[in-house]
Amino acid sequence: MSTFKDLVRVAFTGLLARKVRTLLLLLGPMIGVAAIIASVGLTDSAKGDLKQKVSKLGTNLIEAAASSSFGGQNPTLPADAVDRALTVKTVEKVSAVVELSNIVVTPYIEAREKFETIPIPVLAVDSNLPAVLQVKLVSGRWINQFDEDSEVRAAVIGVGLAREFDVLPGENRTIELAGIPYGVVGILDSVELEPGFDNAVFISFARAEIDFLDDEVEPNKMYVRCTEGTESETSEALKTAVNLGGPQEITTDIKSEALELAAQSDRQLQMIVISMGLLAIIVGGLGIANVMSISVIQRSAEIGIRRALGHTRNIIAIQFLFEAIVVGVIGGILGVLLGMLAIFVGASIAGWVFVMASWLAPAGIILAITISILAGLYPARRAAKLEPLETLRLG
Amino acid sequence: MNASTSALSPDLPILMELSHVSRVYGSGEAAVWALRDVSLIIRAGDFVSIVGPSGSGKSTMLGLLGCLDVPTEGTITVGDEEVTRLADAARTRVRGKSIGFVFQQFHLIPHLDALGNVETALLYRSLKPAERRERAMASLERVGLGRRADHRPVQLSGGEQQRVALARALVTDPKILLADEPTGALDTKNAANVMEILSGLRSSERAVVIVTHDTNIANSAARKVSMLDGGIVSDEVLRS
Repeated sequence: MSTFKDLVRVAFTGLLARKVRTLLLLLGPMIGVAAIIASVGLTDSAKGDLKQKVSKLGTNLIEAAASSSFGGQNPTLPADAVDRALTVKTVEKVSAVVELSNIVVTPYIEAREKFETIPIPVLAVDSNLPAVLQVKLVSGRWINQFDEDSEVRAAVIGVGLAREFDVLPGENRTIELAGIPYGVVGILDSVELEPGFDNAVFISFARAEIDFLDDEVEPNKMYVRCTEGTESETSEALKTAVNLGGPQEITTDIKSEALELAAQSDRQLQMIVISMGLLAIIVGGLGIANVMSISVIQRSAEIGIRRALGHTRNIIAIQFLFEAIVVGVIGGILGVLLGMLAIFVGASIAGWVFVMASWLAPAGIILAITISILAGLYPARRAAKLEPLETLRLG
Repeated sequence: MNASTSALSPDLPILMELSHVSRVYGSGEAAVWALRDVSLIIRAGDFVSIVGPSGSGKSTMLGLLGCLDVPTEGTITVGDEEVTRLADAARTRVRGKSIGFVFQQFHLIPHLDALGNVETALLYRSLKPAERRERAMASLERVGLGRRADHRPVQLSGGEQQRVALARALVTDPKILLADEPTGALDTKNAANVMEILSGLRSSERAVVIVTHDTNIANSAARKVSMLDGGIVSDEVLRS
């Protein structure tokens, strides 16, 4: 035990005596470990952020859309699709929409030319949609039963479109749908699971029927909230329930799956950065081996006198190895701290949550120590092999 | 040459004995006989100088006396240990226990202060740091450098550095103090001072051995062993 303490003490004084060189030695394991910690931590933080998003949005949102397997132009769902969907026990909330096509949306009539070529989706919606999507309004209110019944020209616009049209929250404004003025009654916040809604215009079914549709309204899409954990079964059941007895086919899509997929897609990037970190730490190890080999030559007189004073070859070897280990431990710890700082800064800038797996810090330090032991082996062997007689140049 | 003993103290114990020792460097036709059939006995109380021109074999002799090297032939005994039979690690331990070194170039470790240099000799001996410190300090005081304990080698004069080296050699309480040209790098005044300290270190338990090419230094010892061409040519008692 006292021998161990002696080794540590001598290693520290040896390293402290050559501060600049020690600092340079530290850089290798430090940068390597920091790179690895940062890459794993940052990708985990990004993933953690997506996961958090997914859990906030709920994994239980299903989109059911009419599909045209018979080659129909504008496939629709049955008019009573919502009621049919509600017959599925696991379905909690349903909202149907109609995607209207070829409506030029402009902030005011004079701007028609500018916006003619920009496709802005216009949807006829029911009052349930924000509840089903679990999204709030930035300002104003959503299309309600009054709009439906009184057939007023009320519109809600997405937050992106509001920005584009310079509509201020709470401002009394109209926009033109195919030249027909609609009053903006609300601005919808951005919908993570349906990014297209950011730039969409939402109006009531009744008004859509009057202004833009010839026939009775038939929805072509439904958003369904089901009981958590029953997404797959509900998707299947919906197909049958909605389609029952009719020619319409529907496809279903669990909206959170895309996000979950995205959360996994940066594995490769992570592997690349980890490899670069490993490379850095290996180069750092080579640096340690190189500098310590030179150090052995420079300190040959010291080694000689230590041998003369009764320090065995093993002690000399372990002594040099200990210096390498101390470099590894300190470099590793500094690397972990630097890596954590990088994660923290990166996550703050990107607006993610700081996520760092608990195994990262010990793994980083162990890696740094391992590399420095490997790097220290050769110089330690060389130091032990020195003949005191030769190094002391006896006269 | 036959085995020689100091006439001064035939009754004091033998600390080291070289018996028919040869040291050959290289082999075959290129073989160089640095030492040929040398025998020497060092007893406690001896103050011996080993003197000879370069190439006489005195450096080889120093290596063997210091257990830094092993002979090609013959045996060396330190105390009751036959070091020629020992493996490197065991020989190193005998060296650490029985022999203290002083070199011409001092060989202090530059990044350690005087106390640290002296303490280095006590490392890996299962001593408590406080005890080690105390012993190192006592040794420094013995050479009159107690006040310079926290000075680094560069902050010390040559004479002081050599005294730190002496303190380092003494701190382990060696049986044999081996000094290699101890005054070679010093001016006359410091040289005399170091020689005075050295001569005062022999005791009924310790011998002091000086290896030098300087006849004046050699003549200031109590016993002079002269070497030439790898052999001992004379072994005389100069004074008691």
